Amino acid sequence: MCDVTQGQRGKTMNLIKQKLTELDPDLLFAVILSLCVFSFFAFSNPLFFTLNAGFSIMERFAVLGLVGLALTLCIIAGEIDLSIGSNAALSAVIVVRLTDSMGAFPAIGIGVLCATLIGLAQGYLIAYLKVRAIVLTVGTLMLLRGVALFAADEKTVMLTDFRMTDFIQEKIWIFFSPASLLVILLFIIVGVFIKYTKYGREIYAIGGARKEAIASGVNLKRPMMIVFALSGFCAGMGGAIIGLRSGTAQPLALQYLLLAATVAAFIGGVNILGGKGSVIGAAVGVLTVNFLNTGLVYNVTPSYVVQIYLGVLLLIVIVFQTLSILYDKGKQRRLLLHDTALTKQKMMDAYKSVLK
Amino acid sequence: MSALEYSTSMSSGWLAKKITKENRVGFAILVVISIAFIYFAIATPNYLSVFNVKTIIRDAAIVGIMGIGLTFVTLSGNFFLLSMKETAALSIIVFAMGMSNDYGFIFSMLGAMSIAVLAGAFQGILIGLGGNPIIVTLGAAGILYGVASWWSDNLVIFFKRPHDAEWLGTGMVLGVPTITISFVIFAIIAELVLRKTSFGRQVYLVGANRAAGKATGHENLPMAIKTCIIASACCAFAAIAFSAQMSSAQANYFSSEFGSSGDLTILVIATVMVAGNSIMGGYGSVLRTSLGAVFISATDNLMVLQGFNSGARVLSVGLMIVLSILIFAYVRRDSRSEG
Repeated sequence: MCDVTQGQRGKTMNLIKQKLTELDPDLLFAVILSLCVFSFFAFSNPLFFTLNAGFSIMERFAVLGLVGLALTLCIIAGEIDLSIGSNAALSAVIVVRLTDSMGAFPAIGIGVLCATLIGLAQGYLIAYLKVRAIVLTVGTLMLLRGVALFAADEKTVMLTDFRMTDFIQEKIWIFFSPASLLVILLFIIVGVFIKYTKYGREIYAIGGARKEAIASGVNLKRPMMIVFALSGFCAGMGGAIIGLRSGTAQPLALQYLLLAATVAAFIGGVNILGGKGSVIGAAVGVLTVNFLNTGLVYNVTPSYVVQIYLGVLLLIVIVFQTLSILYDKGKQRRLLLHDTALTKQKMMDAYKSVLK
Repeated sequence: MSALEYSTSMSSGWLAKKITKENRVGFAILVVISIAFIYFAIATPNYLSVFNVKTIIRDAAIVGIMGIGLTFVTLSGNFFLLSMKETAALSIIVFAMGMSNDYGFIFSMLGAMSIAVLAGAFQGILIGLGGNPIIVTLGAAGILYGVASWWSDNLVIFFKRPHDAEWLGTGMVLGVPTITISFVIFAIIAELVLRKTSFGRQVYLVGANRAAGKATGHENLPMAIKTCIIASACCAFAAIAFSAQMSSAQANYFSSEFGSSGDLTILVIATVMVAGNSIMGGYGSVLRTSLGAVFISATDNLMVLQGFNSGARVLSVGLMIVLSILIFAYVRRDSRSEG
C-alpha cells in the first residue's frame, strides 16, 4: 500500500519535472514575476484584491495589451516601431473627431484603417530601402505627431455627446468590457497566426536569422509589411479605445505608451536580437506592467514615480538579457576552442602514425 | 580606366563628378528644396535681416549643442540616445537647485555636469556590454525624468534675477549672444576632435566597422562610455544655458511643449539626421549636424513669419527627417551592406 503511493508520487513528481523542463524559462520567469508583483500589491493594499480592481486591470489591459502586442511582434521580427505612440494619438484624434458625425463604428473603422495603412507603408519602405526600422520610425514619430496636430487643429478634440461611446466600457461578466474582450480575441487570433501559419513563421524567420531566411527564399517585404501593418492596426485600435473611453483626444498625448509597452514586451520574453517571444509572453508581460501600474495608482503614487519603476524594471531585464547573451557567446567560443583542440589532437595523432 | 574615359572625367568638372547616376534623385530634390527655400526667404518680409539671422542661430544653439553631443554617439555606431531631454531635465533641476540655494554658478554647473556624466557613463556601460541603445536609453529616460520630477516635486524652481549665470543665459559679447558663441565654439572643438585627434578617428573606425575596430583593439565598450558621456555633458550644458536664460527650472521644460516643435529628443535626432549623417555610424561630421540645426531653425522661423501654426511646423520637421532618411537610404541603397 505504502509502496504504491510512493510510486505514484514519484511518477507525478517526474511528470511535474518533465512539464517544468518543457516550459520556456523566459515565460516561467515572466509568470513568476507577475505573480510576485500581484501578490505584493494584493497583500499590501486591501483595495487591490477586489473585483473592481480586476475590472480596472482588464481595462488597462485593453490598451496596453494592444500596444505591447504590436511591439512584441516588431521585436520578434528584429525591429522596433518607435512610432506606436504617435500612430495611436493620430488614430484617437481621427476617431473622436469623426464619431460625432458618423457614429462610433464607422469612425473606428476609418481611424484604424488609417493607422494600418501607415504601418503598411512603413513596412514597405523599410523592406524596400533596407533601412533599419528604428531610423525610419523615429522620423514618422515626429511626422505623425505633426499630422495629428494638424488633424486636431492643435486643440484637444472632444465628443459633444459623451453617452455615445459608453457602450465601450459596459461591464460584462464582472471583469470584462467589450474593449477588453475584443483585445483578448485579437491576442488569440494573432497568436494562432504567428505560431501556426506560414506567413507567421516567416516573421520569426526574418527576426532570428534574416540572411538565412532571405537565402532560403523568404521575400523580406511580405513579413515586414505584415508586421508593421499589424503594429499599426494594434496602435490604431489602442488609440481608438483610449479616445472613445475618455471622449477626448490630445494630439501630443500617449507618449508614455512606448516605455510601458517596451517593458511589457521584454518581460514577456522577447529578445532584442529577434526571433524569440510569444503572444502568451506578451500577455503575461502586459499583465505584470498593469499590476504594477494599477497597484501604484492604488497606493497614490504620482505618475512620474511609476516611470522610475518601469525604467528600473526595463533596465534589470535588459541587463539579464545582455549577460545571458554574453554568457552564450562565451560558451560557444569555448565549445569552438574545444572542438578545434580535439581536431588538432586527431591530426597530430594521424601525423605521428604516418611518421612511424 | 582608359585614357579617353580619364580625360572626360577630368574635363567634366566638379559638379558633374559629384552627380553620379545613383544620387541624381537626391540632387534633384535638394535643388528643388533650396530653390523653394530661397524663394520663400526672399518673399517673406523681415526674414533676411541681420537681427532675424541672429535669432535663427540663437534658436538653433541649444538644440545644436545637444546635436553635437549626439553626433559622437551616432558616428560611433550606437544609433541615438532617446534620453537626451531627460538628461537635460535632470541637469536643469540640479543646476537650478544649486543656484536657488546660493551655491554659485561654478558649483551648480559642476553638480549638473557630474550628474549628467554619471547618467551617460551608466548608459554607456549598458550599451557597450551589448544592450540595444534604443531600449537602454528608453529605460534610462524613464528613470532620469522620474528622478527629476520626484526630486523637484514637479514644481518650478526659481532663482532670483541678479545671479552669476546671467552672462550665459542672456549675456552678449560684441552684440552676439553668449549661447550662440558657445555653440560655435562647441562645433569647432568637436570638429577638430573628430578630425585631428586619435580619439576622433577611433570614433569613426568603431562606427564604420565594428569588427575591424575590435580586431585593432578598439572595443565598443570604452567607446560607448566615452561617447555617451560626451552626449550627456552636452545635454547638461544646453540645459544650464536654458535655465540661466529662464532663471528657473522644471522637469518638463524639455517635454512636448518645447518651442512648440514637438519632442526635444526627436528634434535633436532630427538635427543629426537631416544633414545626412549616417545613422549606422562611421559617416558624417559635426559640421553637418550644425548645418542641420541651423536649417531646421531657419525653416521653423520662416514658417512662424509666414503665420503657420505649430501643427504645420512639427509636420515640416517630421517631413524633413523622413525625406532625408528616404533620400539618403535610396542613394546608399546598393552601396551599404545589410545593417
